Amino acid sequence: MFFVAPALIVLAAILFYPIVDSVLLALQRVQLAGGAVTQEWIGLGNFTRLFSDPVFWRAALNTAYFSVMEVILVTLISLGVALLLNHPFGRSGFFRILLIIPWAIAPVANAVLWKWILNANYGVLNALLKSLGVIDYNQVWLGTPFSALNFLLIVDVWKSVPFVALLMLAGLQRVPQSLYRAAYMDGAGPWQSFLNVTLPTMRGVIAIAIVLQTIWSLRVFDLVFVLTRGGPADATALLNFLAYRVTFNFLDLGYGSAIANVIFALTFVLAALYVWLLWPREIKGAR
Amino acid sequence: MVHNFNRRQFLGTGALAGAMTTMPGWFEGGAKAQSAALNVFSPLPPDPAPPGAAKFSEEAFAKWQADNGATVAYETLAWPQLHDRMATAFASGAAPWDITYNCGWVPEFESFLTPYADNLPKALVDDLPATSFATTTVGGKRYGAVFTLSLLTLFYNKELMEQAGFKEAPKTWDEFKACAKEMTRDGRFGFVLNYGDPAGIGGTASYWMVFLQQAGGKVYGEDGMPAFKSDEGVAALQMMVDLMPSTDPGSISYAGINDATNVLLAGRAGMMMNWPFMWNAGNDPKQSQIVGKMTSAVLPAGLKGSASIDGTDAWTITKASKNQDKAQKLIEFYLDAEVQKRQVLDTGWLPIRLSVLADPEVQAKAPNAAVVLEQAKHPYDSFVTADYNQVTVAIGTEVQKALQGSKTAAQAIADAQDAVTAIVKRRG
Repeated sequence: MFFVAPALIVLAAILFYPIVDSVLLALQRVQLAGGAVTQEWIGLGNFTRLFSDPVFWRAALNTAYFSVMEVILVTLISLGVALLLNHPFGRSGFFRILLIIPWAIAPVANAVLWKWILNANYGVLNALLKSLGVIDYNQVWLGTPFSALNFLLIVDVWKSVPFVALLMLAGLQRVPQSLYRAAYMDGAGPWQSFLNVTLPTMRGVIAIAIVLQTIWSLRVFDLVFVLTRGGPADATALLNFLAYRVTFNFLDLGYGSAIANVIFALTFVLAALYVWLLWPREIKGAR
Repeated sequence: MVHNFNRRQFLGTGALAGAMTTMPGWFEGGAKAQSAALNVFSPLPPDPAPPGAAKFSEEAFAKWQADNGATVAYETLAWPQLHDRMATAFASGAAPWDITYNCGWVPEFESFLTPYADNLPKALVDDLPATSFATTTVGGKRYGAVFTLSLLTLFYNKELMEQAGFKEAPKTWDEFKACAKEMTRDGRFGFVLNYGDPAGIGGTASYWMVFLQQAGGKVYGEDGMPAFKSDEGVAALQMMVDLMPSTDPGSISYAGINDATNVLLAGRAGMMMNWPFMWNAGNDPKQSQIVGKMTSAVLPAGLKGSASIDGTDAWTITKASKNQDKAQKLIEFYLDAEVQKRQVLDTGWLPIRLSVLADPEVQAKAPNAAVVLEQAKHPYDSFVTADYNQVTVAIGTEVQKALQGSKTAAQAIADAQDAVTAIVKRRG
């Protein structure tokens, strides 16, 4: 206990204190109005306000759509990429370095990069599609609610795929070759081998990837801040961005903390699931 | 003699050196012991910035520091990040600045600021437009001094306008719509603006406030409650909606004024509302493809005449500053006539001093100064309150919905009024 005390103190200072303070803030009406910070205990007032706040529900729906779609797309694309990289033709280090680039770019730099790619007047995407004859005139990719939210999704998927693909590649490389040989001997083709050998063996890795990606998708902020500022008309306001806007832009610290606590609770449940998945277990029947 | 310097001695010497550096003034000589270190929080150019942060009056600035025994350090940030940085710094009690830039946020941060502007020299105050203190006065006390006359005016491409069959800038809403419509051709648009970010001055809501005042409306009534669910409020939004077919469709995605400015300077749009800095940018061949083709005019009149909004760029002094006198002196230096003159000549940001605005050299270099002065004869209320950001997000989001056609102007205004009423009631 004596030896772990310093670590516990550091954890308490940088983790537990902010969490507890944030929960306490969420139970108060804390506002920086007229320059003065006013604090008043209101119990669950901020949380009940969430239920009647249409902007919160819009952000919650946006976040739910964003997270579900992101997890599905990232998982499927990453699995595909991992399979290609695991193929003898894809084992070159060059492909792995190429793959990691989107993940290695700093988040804000990535967002600025895409801001210019998607620019309605000068964007590379418009120029490319026009030169290919796909579109006749420039499109405003971030101009309508549906398009803006889905382009944010595409950009985040682009950034997230590399890490998850490498995670899955590591999982693929742990599948014993003897299982494939046994399946081959039993007459299984490539598709049957994938369904009956690869996928079941990778179940744990895929589950971890899904949980991690869900947590990360709940935390998306930089893309919204740089690309759309939550617009047009709150179409891309995700919960994390809303918590920021209410706290630091509206200076309604109590209500902002309540929103942040909702995100924290969701993340905490997912993190607990992640720990449960990784927890070492005794195999039934093993001695 | 060989001196053995072992690890223990090395660590000891390091610790001693570290301790010495933490002692205030250790490295400073006796002569500098009285000098003041001033920290100034400022926007990053091309937004309005002071000498030393922007490239003008640099020699005079160095001389001022030497003469006043002061060193000035700037913390500069891109304009959209200024408010939130100030909010977090003030809320945490860790604002390190003596002087801060302010832009309509004085009511919000009032108790962290000192009402120094009440003590400015009379000669200086008399040379400033009395209305310039409107957005920095709270409870009858003046907390800031505006340092640039910054009103929105109409900037337009003369060549495109002539091609569209108009010899001069539109003077009324009807002319404005007709002109924008005619200019929309050959892949170009008649009008461009940044409607992407609803919040703050220069956000979607503030542009609607321009049209609102042109229609003769106000955001708040005498009782302080929102009063824009009116014919004027709806007419203002309807005017913006009517302009949309002639507006660059990218406008709804442009989150900052620079995005829209680039479109005008590339010759891809004919008109826009913009701040006075646009003049220099539009005539700089490095930034503009319409050099010599751009000019400015008073904004077209609505039902009740022309109107604009105030950029409200002001300098304020924090209450926590330990160098209040020096800070005020520095602001007086920023407002010095010669510095103000260099400000407009070198950066394009107009001076606030009336004597400098009347200077022939200034009028020759910045012909738009006369236009801004003319615009200043019409209303230019920015309707700033302590919860300005929250109010503008509520209004701006509804304005965006109307611009996209998902709500009628009347529906959007009614919903915006409900949202702002709830905010005002929560404010108490």
